[in-house]
Amino acid sequence: MGALWMLLEPLVHLLLFTLLFAMLRGRTVSGVEYPVFILVGMAPFLLYRNTALRMMDSLRENRSLFGYKQIKPLDTYVARVIVETCIAATVYAILVFGFAWFGFDMSIHSPLQWIATLLVGLLFAFGLGMFLAMLTHALPSLKIIIRMAFFPLYFISGVLIPASYLPQAMMPVLLLNPFLHLLELIRAEVLPHYTPVDGVSETYVISFTLVLLFLSLGAYRARRMHLISTKNG
Amino acid sequence: MFELRNVTKSYLTPNGRRYVFRNLSLAIPPGKNIGLIGRNGAGKSTLMRLLGGADVPDSGIIATDRSISWPVGLTGGFQGSMTGRDNIKFVCRIYGATGDAMREKIRYVQDFAEIGDWIDEPIKTYSSGMRSRVAFGLSMAFDFDYYLIDEVMSVGDAQFKRKCAEVFQDKLQKSNVVLVSHSMPEIEKLCDVVLLVRNGTIQVYDDVAEGIKAYNS
Repeated sequence: MGALWMLLEPLVHLLLFTLLFAMLRGRTVSGVEYPVFILVGMAPFLLYRNTALRMMDSLRENRSLFGYKQIKPLDTYVARVIVETCIAATVYAILVFGFAWFGFDMSIHSPLQWIATLLVGLLFAFGLGMFLAMLTHALPSLKIIIRMAFFPLYFISGVLIPASYLPQAMMPVLLLNPFLHLLELIRAEVLPHYTPVDGVSETYVISFTLVLLFLSLGAYRARRMHLISTKNG
Repeated sequence: MFELRNVTKSYLTPNGRRYVFRNLSLAIPPGKNIGLIGRNGAGKSTLMRLLGGADVPDSGIIATDRSISWPVGLTGGFQGSMTGRDNIKFVCRIYGATGDAMREKIRYVQDFAEIGDWIDEPIKTYSSGMRSRVAFGLSMAFDFDYYLIDEVMSVGDAQFKRKCAEVFQDKLQKSNVVLVSHSMPEIEKLCDVVLLVRNGTIQVYDDVAEGIKAYNS
């Protein structure tokens, strides 16, 4: 039953939002059917968000396993990424088949690039999750603020609308957000006629990810002993 | 044998840093069963975790040339949402027992802990007695030079204690034990050396009776 709910929860979440916004906003957006547009962007966004947020709890959830000296905190972080990816991939596959069944065009325009971008995004989510985990380990009260900060990310990352609908004057600021780049890239790779806004670049996401990984793994290296032995984690 | 050189261990709590040990140095001779005694909160379990490598000192070195089990305690070591069987499998995989060896260890733990078909229920539904039976049985399923046993035996019923004693008789032919206990008869029966943990220091008593006397005084 618990295993079923693991799949059902994100599935229902995605389906509900997709259909809800499709009803509110009409049938099409930039030449594609709206449910398809939403699904293509929201599924990876939820994967990245869940991965990053759940990694903040990895230490607490797995504390009892650190009694085995072979198990390091890093293992629990990597395990979390694998688990979330498997769940998201399964849910996405089910939804894609379901949508295709009802006559939506679910073909992927450039599949290899799409997979590459998804993987970069996953690496970014891992880096972000590690970073947040290190941060909230030092300052546990930040957890609630970080969780709340992910809510506006929904809107400024272009999950529900194309980035071109966002205010143009704010674009230079909005483009600092790697999620916006990732979602635009992913949609451009899946939907054949979708053009991302100017300034979206794979290079930015990759550099951001590398800096983030460097910082978070460095912090992990410095605090790895403390992560296991703390009493307030 | 164990050797501790200038070991300092502290924990960061919300109210600041609390030192458990400062600049502790001592050597424990090889081939002895070690009893750790002391008041609650004196640092027995911390010392045991340090010896087992499950925790690391802030500074200093803990050296040993023996294989040491994980600390077998009342609470830790299990993922509560997974079943008993999955937890056992998990530990088997960590320690490299796969295939037939894993099946054999699962059977051993199931028999030893007498949990029957509870083995397929999540660990968090177990009573503390069942949990400690599984924890103890699981550690006995593997061969180590030292077993770290943290008060597990004191919670069981009489029958379980008898069973533990039997398995111990067998295991202690080749292995040794580091035992945390508040039951002095148990310490007297099983241990050759007593370490009295008190006020951040550790006193080594080669004579068990003398150590217990110091603890009680």
